[in-house]
Amino acid sequence: MNNNRLILIGLLIPAILMIPFSIISFYTDFANRNPDPLSVTVDFDQNAYNAVEGKKAFEQYQCMDCHTIVGNGAYFAPDLTTVYKRIGENDAALSNFILSGASAKGMQPMRDRGMTEDDAYRITAFLKYANMLDTNGWPGAGSWERDGNPDSTSAKKLDFFDIWQVVSGIVFINVLIFAIILAYENKKNDREA
Amino acid sequence: MSEYPSKIKTRKYFITAILLFIVQMLLGLIMSVDVLARDSSTNLPLTFDILKALHLNLMVLWLLLGFIGGLYYLLPAEAGRDIKHPRLIDIQFWSLLLIGIGIIISEIFFTGRNWWLVEGREYLEAGRFWDILLTAGLLSVVYNVIATIFESRNKLSSPILVLAAGAIGSILMYVPGEIWFDSIVAAEYFRWWVVHYWVEASFELIAAGVIALILLAMTQVRREIIEKYLAIEVALILLTGIIGQGHHYYWIGTPGIWIFLGGLFSALEPVPLFLMVWSAYKDLKENKKPIPNKVVLYMIIGATLGNFVGAGLWGFIHTLPQINFFTHGTQITSSHAHFATPGTYLLLVIGIAYLAIPEISGRLDFSHYRGKIGFWLLVIGFLNMIIALMIAGVIQVYQQRIEGLSFMSVQNTLFPYFEWRLIGGLIAFAGGLLIAYDLILISTIKVKTERNNINKEI
Ligand code: HEC
Ligand code: HEM
Ligand SMILES: [Fe+2]
Repeated sequence: MNNNRLILIGLLIPAILMIPFSIISFYTDFANRNPDPLSVTVDFDQNAYNAVEGKKAFEQYQCMDCHTIVGNGAYFAPDLTTVYKRIGENDAALSNFILSGASAKGMQPMRDRGMTEDDAYRITAFLKYANMLDTNGWPGAGSWERDGNPDSTSAKKLDFFDIWQVVSGIVFINVLIFAIILAYENKKNDREA
Repeated sequence: MSEYPSKIKTRKYFITAILLFIVQMLLGLIMSVDVLARDSSTNLPLTFDILKALHLNLMVLWLLLGFIGGLYYLLPAEAGRDIKHPRLIDIQFWSLLLIGIGIIISEIFFTGRNWWLVEGREYLEAGRFWDILLTAGLLSVVYNVIATIFESRNKLSSPILVLAAGAIGSILMYVPGEIWFDSIVAAEYFRWWVVHYWVEASFELIAAGVIALILLAMTQVRREIIEKYLAIEVALILLTGIIGQGHHYYWIGTPGIWIFLGGLFSALEPVPLFLMVWSAYKDLKENKKPIPNKVVLYMIIGATLGNFVGAGLWGFIHTLPQINFFTHGTQITSSHAHFATPGTYLLLVIGIAYLAIPEISGRLDFSHYRGKIGFWLLVIGFLNMIIALMIAGVIQVYQQRIEGLSFMSVQNTLFPYFEWRLIGGLIAFAGGLLIAYDLILISTIKVKTERNNINKEI
């Protein structure tokens, strides 16, 4: 077969199939599977804050580059998909945590970034919405669930003696890598000689 | 010097790419210290999220610079004519650099303060303002490439077609990621179009095309054979990769059909990557012509192997939904990301740089010593990092996702492996520095003699 035709077929068949798959994905998102983010709200001081405003604030304060949401993002901090449940669906505790952070464990107080209480409430609505998504069961239930409190484990401090626990692993892997390098370079020299 | 004078303009693309790569590694090193001393970063202006955002955005920037430079460098010989608008090559470079500086400044000073400047979605942290400028800049690159191809003297060859398709695809796929959606599901759905359709489709086409062109240039293997393999590889990459997107749609709120579709198609993604290794191996074995530029050979062999092992195998181990349920969002993902991305695209960009810079500078007799050592340092460093992250990921999956320990207590258990990762990072950093030094050395010495020649001619 002509090369370009082969490439074109490889491109078009799956690309066209993506259309119905995408339609199904969007239809189920809007229809019955997930809540409408506009209608998910939390109330503070008689004001309602919705998850759409919350999503924008969540992006603006860059939560996703420390945390994961639906498992995507950075691996420096816990996943936030089900944090609303984990924290006992306590709106006040959650918004308060976001504003004050946990400096000792690596979360800067969002107040320091100029976050207003309103934005914290909005993000709380967004996290409420995230908890309601149908994620095919991910991340599953587990004993990490707590009632209304943030994680009480404190972060370990840097201790260089930790490294002894993995020294044998480091030595083993590096001997292996060096063996590969030597084998490759020697074989090449033989061939060139 | 060369029959295509615009080639010389691509030198700054490669040098800048390699320097930005150094900065990216530096940011990575600071982050790996952050993980080991979590209270340190919260008092600095560069908190972890900003470091991570810049780590990713600088990578995107130098990848684009390297690819655009490579495109401009390789295109003239294939098209049989020089780039249509050589001035654009300079303008585009400086605009990209300005956009990059703008992104860095926005991240440091405007995170959380202005959504137009910092959008804060992984990989797409650059705010809407920068996105628009970047898209415009990339479109002008595509225009220049297409204008050159249309006026080419030769018949369109498949490597060039594949390269152009990859370049156009990268830009097209950037746009859906920028559309605003109220729903996090829809937003993530299209955010992955950028990430996945870049690294597993568009960039993969660019890689396949560039490797084919380099093999064409360096060996005397028949063109038809290389082009046939290229066509099969590209067709398979697209056939598996486009629906393979589904491996990012298991748990983000999209329907269950993706568990079937994503699992099936993405599990086949290693096949074309293996074919790339195999065809390169066969071509090189068949080739009788001596290959003088050994460093390029190292980088290209490294890139095909890194692509197969890092993307293909390391991807395969966590792409099946039954496994991904546990590994999703853990250090396993990080291990894969640090194998596939540098293993494929870093080595490729360095490879093109080592092809282009000596030729542009007229120093084809450059010493291969530093390039080879730099290559091996990168390999040793990244392999240490990859193994450390992989073991950390297995422990994390077991403790956090199966036993159900809290995130922070598992992080404490992973400490020794994060220290190991830091050591790997330092070794890789040394390799990067050596290669950057070498490339700058090769590119600058000749500049003087060139001026002398020009003076003589005058
Ligand atoms: C600089 C990195 C960083 C950024 C940015 C960040 N966080 Fe955190 N966050 C952390 C870390 C580290 C923890 C873990 C602290 C703990 O376990 O107590 C944490 C914990 C949390 C928790 C408690 C999780 C739990 O399981 O108890 C919530 C809720 C949270 N963050 C929300 C947010 C939101 C919302 C944002 C964005 C406005 C955000 N964080 C931005 C680092 C960050
Ligand atoms: C050169 C090609 C590739 C590159 C550069 C690459 C890079 C990456 C990166 C950077 C991520 C992390 C995204 C994040 O931070 O959230 C990722 C995720 C992933 N990759 Fe790849 N990849 C490549 C090829 C592949 C292939 C061929 C497969 C499958 C066989 C694969 C399977 C996966 C999966 C399943 C994830 C998601 C992990 C998760 O979040 O659960 N990748 N890839
Ligand atoms: Fe992917």
